[in-house]
Amino acid sequence: MKTSSFKSYNRRKFLSLGLGLAAGFFFSGPKSLLSASFPNFFFAQLKYRGGEWDPNPQFAEAIIEELELRTSIDGMKERRVTTLSDPDLFFCPFLYMAGKYEFDPFTPQERETLTRFLSYGGFLFAEDTMGAKGFGFDQAFRREMKQLFPDHELRRLASDHSVYQSFYIIGSVGGCQRVNPYLEGITIDNWTPVLYSQNDLSGAWARDRFGKWINECVPGGEVQRSGAFKLGINIIVYSLTSDYKKDVIHHPFIKRRQSL
Amino acid sequence: MNLDQITIAPVFPLWLILLLFSLGFASTIVQFRLLRRRLGHSRALGLSFLRLGAISFLITFALNPSLVTKKEHKVLPAIAILLDTSQSMGQPGRPGKASRLEEAKALLTEGANPLLKSLSEGYEVRLYGVGESLRAIEGKELANLKAEGMKGNLSEILKELSGKNTLALLLSDGNLEWNDSQSKNLPIVTVPLGSSGEYKDILIKAVKAPPLAFRGREVMIDVTIKSYGYTGLTLPVLLKEGNKLLTAKNTRINASPSEVTASLSFIPDEVGQKNLSISIPQQFGESLVSNNSVNLSMKVVRDKIRILMVSGNPSMNYRFMRTALKNDPSIDLLSFVILRTPSDILNVPTHEQSLIPFPVETLFFKEIKNFDLLIFDNFKYPLYLSPHHLESIREFVRGGGGFAMIGGPNLVNEGRYAMTPIGEILPVRFAEKENYRRDSKVGVRLSRAGVVHPITRLSLDTVGDTVGDTAGDDTHRLSFWREMPSLDGFNLLEAKSSATVLLESADGIPWPILIVSNYGNGRVLALATDYSWKWYMGMVAKGKGNHAYLRLMDRMVRWLTKDPGLDPVQITLPERTGSAGQEIEIRIKLREEDLSPNLRSMVSFSVLNPDGIKIESGLKPTGQSGEYLGSFLPQKGGIYKLKVETSADHLEESMVVAGLLESLDASPDHEQLKKVSASTGGKFLSRTEDLLKEIEGYARKGEGRFIEEKRSSVWARPFVMVLVLGFLIVEWFFRRRWGMV
Repeated sequence: MKTSSFKSYNRRKFLSLGLGLAAGFFFSGPKSLLSASFPNFFFAQLKYRGGEWDPNPQFAEAIIEELELRTSIDGMKERRVTTLSDPDLFFCPFLYMAGKYEFDPFTPQERETLTRFLSYGGFLFAEDTMGAKGFGFDQAFRREMKQLFPDHELRRLASDHSVYQSFYIIGSVGGCQRVNPYLEGITIDNWTPVLYSQNDLSGAWARDRFGKWINECVPGGEVQRSGAFKLGINIIVYSLTSDYKKDVIHHPFIKRRQSL
Repeated sequence: MNLDQITIAPVFPLWLILLLFSLGFASTIVQFRLLRRRLGHSRALGLSFLRLGAISFLITFALNPSLVTKKEHKVLPAIAILLDTSQSMGQPGRPGKASRLEEAKALLTEGANPLLKSLSEGYEVRLYGVGESLRAIEGKELANLKAEGMKGNLSEILKELSGKNTLALLLSDGNLEWNDSQSKNLPIVTVPLGSSGEYKDILIKAVKAPPLAFRGREVMIDVTIKSYGYTGLTLPVLLKEGNKLLTAKNTRINASPSEVTASLSFIPDEVGQKNLSISIPQQFGESLVSNNSVNLSMKVVRDKIRILMVSGNPSMNYRFMRTALKNDPSIDLLSFVILRTPSDILNVPTHEQSLIPFPVETLFFKEIKNFDLLIFDNFKYPLYLSPHHLESIREFVRGGGGFAMIGGPNLVNEGRYAMTPIGEILPVRFAEKENYRRDSKVGVRLSRAGVVHPITRLSLDTVGDTVGDTAGDDTHRLSFWREMPSLDGFNLLEAKSSATVLLESADGIPWPILIVSNYGNGRVLALATDYSWKWYMGMVAKGKGNHAYLRLMDRMVRWLTKDPGLDPVQITLPERTGSAGQEIEIRIKLREEDLSPNLRSMVSFSVLNPDGIKIESGLKPTGQSGEYLGSFLPQKGGIYKLKVETSADHLEESMVVAGLLESLDASPDHEQLKKVSASTGGKFLSRTEDLLKEIEGYARKGEGRFIEEKRSSVWARPFVMVLVLGFLIVEWFFRRRWGMV
């Protein structure tokens, strides 16, 4: 299984690079040079007290590679680790939070900071890599979200939510595991500043230094991993474009393609 | 002298007078008895009678008797001759007469027995001119009298004349206001002038048009056309802006007189003040041409500011700008984000992509005119746009559109904009070597121009809490910008000489960050960073909310689109502008946040008439801060240009003033005269009747009489005193003779 996935990865990587280089030759010269110097996306992973804040330390590189390969976004492969007391927290475009186990409650000051961050344009993608509903990280995260947004519940996102259409049109949610066939989120007006998954997307993205997938995707295998990458890219694009895909001009195209 | 002509006015109460008389009578009886013993009955009776007579007369003084004499007099009837002098009287009268006024003059002064002279012989005649008001005129003024001014209100005039005259003679064509008041105090005999059967005219009687219209939305204008004598004719009704025909509609006249309404519609494609005209071509035999056209003023505004934004890639800059623009309900944003370039691979079938084609042909050739502002955000054009598209953008800006270039690394190597139409319109040049600098953490500061520019001159409620209250307004603003978070990346640009730098880097070389300029009729802006979103989150991090960033974006958009809401001077025209000869007042408001107290005191207001000549105008404060009232008196119809100047800015508006003859319905309205006569108990006289005879008949009915009454006190007459003294002297004489004295 792992060998297969490795081969699959290499084949795709080879094709992608080949096409990318060819297209770059004909259409666009300086992108590969710029991508290293001027990234406009990076993961800022939230370090918290208690539990296990970093279940997939090697998740970023592969998803950033795919992001750069497939989209016009330039990303930084190195994640940044931050805390809720970090003065630069508000300048992190994408706050990532993951865990398996229950963590310590946030302090009132941390809650106020995170509420302000999320209410005024910040974005948080959180995932329960254990996938245990009502236990561990899931229980603690839901508790904190209720404290942060007492008037807004963490709800299952509708299938036409922008995050499912921001780059790919996504019908099924991938991940390292298949706990929920959907994402959850807290939506305020037309913007969902909090996205939550229990499917361990980062587990599906994680790759070791030799380019081998660290985790197997069950039960769907590489198709499920491919879905995890697509959803990851969609989440990143959503964090940078908001509900752009809800603009009227996109409707007929998306509807037509959904009906194919 | 008759007894009924004597009246009494007692000086004491009657009972007192009777008491005095009783006492006098009693004393006379006592005297009679005393005298009878000495002089005998008859002599005593004679002396007592004389005494009683004297006492009676004296007591009668208290009754104060007066003699009233009455004399009956005849009064010469007063006739008021009312001569209509309004503008419609200048229209042709009966055949042979140049005008209806001339027809009236001839009626009064010409012929074998001129009416004015004949009436003056038997009556007291007063001559009045009836225009907008009543004016007494002398006979010698009659020859030089002209038809001018608006029609008068006869009901009001009647109130002035009532009680002073017996009869009013009205010479008019019937174009008078009359509220059908039933008053018989002053009968009005009416003499019709002009001939309604021979009158031919087409006029625009009324125009119903909104004073405010939205660009791109259909505007309906209802035109009411009245016609006399053109049955069966089909008329074109034209709507023009200057000499440009906007629309036309044919309207058929089915009767005479008749009123028809034509609805004209057009779609304004530009914002601003529109001076429109509605006209009907002159027809053969028309009496009056000036009422065939009407000027009207219409302000065209945008219902929404339409923005086309193209982003080179998904970014925080895009998302926060989008948030700001979407946050404003007056903005209609159409944005395209380049999600993938041709060099990116897309490893899924079409139905799994949400990407849509970038319709450059439609956007930059066909639809560009429908936008107010075009924003390129970190966008490298060569993969998508041809030089022809860039030329189209240049023409869009030259024609009045706005263009903003937001910086970022994609503009490296000039984004290949140099030597293109975009390079021509941009307010900046790219530095020669290094085009984009990253991770240098550069702060920004307001330039001298930025302190006063509408984009960066944020209101004090936005920036006011950054420093102490004692600081000046500009100090607040300078401190506010210094507190803004530093930028992580910016483009190294050089402002063109024609550009204005509003923000510049605060550390080291002052690189321009926010630069603006004009190009053609449009405005251009360059923001040399893709990190302006840090101004949003930086203020949020400090707990100061996102208001400043939203206001900055709002003011950038409004400045680029020349939104009048950002003008430091606002002019509010009256809803109804009136017509020539009527004073017009306009309201002028200066924006508090844009003008310092020194500037507020330097406001001037001037008006140019349709000939371009400056006319007298007034300006006074209304009492409310920054508000003024400008006024002027237009002497004729046409387009007036209003100019308000401050030392910081100026604003020009134009307004249409209706001419005196505009919409004039000069058709003789003899039915109106019949109503006037019937309501006042007068008579409508036809020209075939003997006017003098008819008028005299009415005048006699009103012939007046009065009784002169004179009152003189009886005691003032000498013979009464002689009579009293006579009684006393006779008594004294007989008393002496009979030895009583």
